[in-house]
Amino acid sequence: MRVLLMGHPNVGKSVVFNRLTGVDVIASNYPGTTVEYAQGSTRVEGEDVTVIDVPGTFSLEPKDSAEKVAVEMLEQERGAVVISVIDSSKVERGLYLTLELIERGYPVILALNMWDIAKDKMIDIDVKKLSRIMGIPVVSTIAISGDGIRKLASLIKEAKPIKVDEIVERVGS
Amino acid sequence: MSLTVDERWDLIDSIAKKTITYGRYKETLKDVIGELTVKPMTGIPIAITTMYAFWSIFGSFAGTLFTDGFFVKLFDEHWLPWMQAHFPGAGGWLYYIIVGDPAADNCFEAFGMLTSGIFVAIGVVLPAIFIFYLMLTLLEDVGYLPRLAVLVDTVLHKIGLHGYAIVPTILALGCNVPGVTATRILETRKERFVMMTLLAIFVPCGAQLGIMEEVVPESMGLIILYLIIGYFITGLVLNKIIPGISPEILMDVPPYQKPLLSNVILKVWVRMKSFFKTAIPFVLLGCVIVNVLYLAGFIQWLGSTFSPVFVTWFGVPEATAGPLVAAFLRKDLAVAQLSVIEMSAYQMVTAVVLVSIYFPCLATFMMLLKEGWKELLGSLAVLISVVFLYGGLLHLIGILAGVA
Amino acid sequence: MEYDEMGTVKRIEGELREKVAGMGIRVGKKVRMITKQPIKGPVVVVVDEANTSLGLDIAGKIVVEMER
Repeated sequence: MRVLLMGHPNVGKSVVFNRLTGVDVIASNYPGTTVEYAQGSTRVEGEDVTVIDVPGTFSLEPKDSAEKVAVEMLEQERGAVVISVIDSSKVERGLYLTLELIERGYPVILALNMWDIAKDKMIDIDVKKLSRIMGIPVVSTIAISGDGIRKLASLIKEAKPIKVDEIVERVGS
Repeated sequence: MSLTVDERWDLIDSIAKKTITYGRYKETLKDVIGELTVKPMTGIPIAITTMYAFWSIFGSFAGTLFTDGFFVKLFDEHWLPWMQAHFPGAGGWLYYIIVGDPAADNCFEAFGMLTSGIFVAIGVVLPAIFIFYLMLTLLEDVGYLPRLAVLVDTVLHKIGLHGYAIVPTILALGCNVPGVTATRILETRKERFVMMTLLAIFVPCGAQLGIMEEVVPESMGLIILYLIIGYFITGLVLNKIIPGISPEILMDVPPYQKPLLSNVILKVWVRMKSFFKTAIPFVLLGCVIVNVLYLAGFIQWLGSTFSPVFVTWFGVPEATAGPLVAAFLRKDLAVAQLSVIEMSAYQMVTAVVLVSIYFPCLATFMMLLKEGWKELLGSLAVLISVVFLYGGLLHLIGILAGVA
Repeated sequence: MEYDEMGTVKRIEGELREKVAGMGIRVGKKVRMITKQPIKGPVVVVVDEANTSLGLDIAGKIVVEMER
């Protein structure tokens, strides 16, 4: 089983990767440096899972060469589960990429990372409701301290592809 | 099914409305600093101050504290005399290669593999590289680099690059190899070509800077100035003659963050590791090769054959042939060698500039080759013209100033 | 659009629409310009508390209605 970590630059994606796999990758606080990707593995319920840290991208409509690399990697991994890592203090931007991933038919798990920062900024997100509306597993994480990572790993198997119109319907009702 | 951009955003808005509540957001100190460092009025002075601080810490920490304060004493007073006294066969060729000059009283002059080689690698370059990477990593993790990129965008556009080109340039100041790798973040072939060529010619690496700081501290400013001017002149010319476009900047500017200690340690360590792997063997090997070539009389031959070029065109002594050969392997080694040649201050400056610009070191060369041989040939053509024109120009300036 | 002004995005031309959408810049959003570099340099705008730097030509393709 293969799992891709995707998200904007600078949302703590590499730290999530380190926490999940124990493999050390370098995180950079500016976009474009991780042109090469990192790969590691972890075990979920007795099964080996390969985790790949994809370079940061804002959308699947690449605006520069680093983003192109990310999109190409995604396209090569048709059967993979995608963990969409987003900055909890900028949820809307993150949901954009998440929806694009869902639309392309990937099973997606949403990790609301940097949860502590969102709390500091007085932003409150109803995780359960978000998960219900989106129809995908959602978990809040603080990668730096490791909070929520265990739960994230345990949810990998629950991800399945969904139709975006179902989300539209659920929002409407 | 897929949505259009607007449908997607409408959907997000309705999801957000149902699940997110925003409290009052108050501007924090981080935001204020963030704005101050990117506004030209305050940002440019801050950038200059930062760079200057970077530079002085680099010089005082690596050069004064570690190299002068500790390694020079260790190597010149203990290691070198011990090697000279205990290594068998003084005067023989093996002694010459391993220990070097038996009469030398410091580790720059001796030039043996286990004397100067180890001194240059461990005593001079290692502390320089370490402090460079530590400071770079801090700047990087705090989130300063994208702001610097915005500030220099205008200037770099004049030479066919955009602001982001500051990232490969700064990385190359540590070591040209990761600098060349980082050119991949640039968009067009033109940009990548211009950047790689400028890196290979005008950006000295941390190892070289460290040793320059040690052997020619009083001329550092002038040398760096020459390199910066060369970087921009060549960039301007390349921008005019190379076809292709340089796209505009479109970039997220992330908020400042407190650097994560574990990440800083890890990053410095990974970068140091690649230094140990590539630099140290090359420095030692470089000593051996240069010594063998001296023993075989090749370097003396090269010097006298190209004497007109060295003496008449560049105005530097014949003996600089040796360092120029060494510079193929390691620039730091070449500068160390230059330091013991008898010459005037003007000649020293010119020779150091020449060593910097004339050819990329082997590791960088291999990296350029990996990026494409066509680009490499192009870069070399530019390089040869630049070395002759710029070297000649420096000589002319020297003559006009009455120092050459 | 001038320094430190607020406005609402009215229209984004051509392909740029898709490219900046992921960064949160879209029609109907409020933007504030925080800097403009001298000699045709890039601008930095804030949308939803996130800073984005845009080259001048790119910025020119985003039409903004000013607030007074």
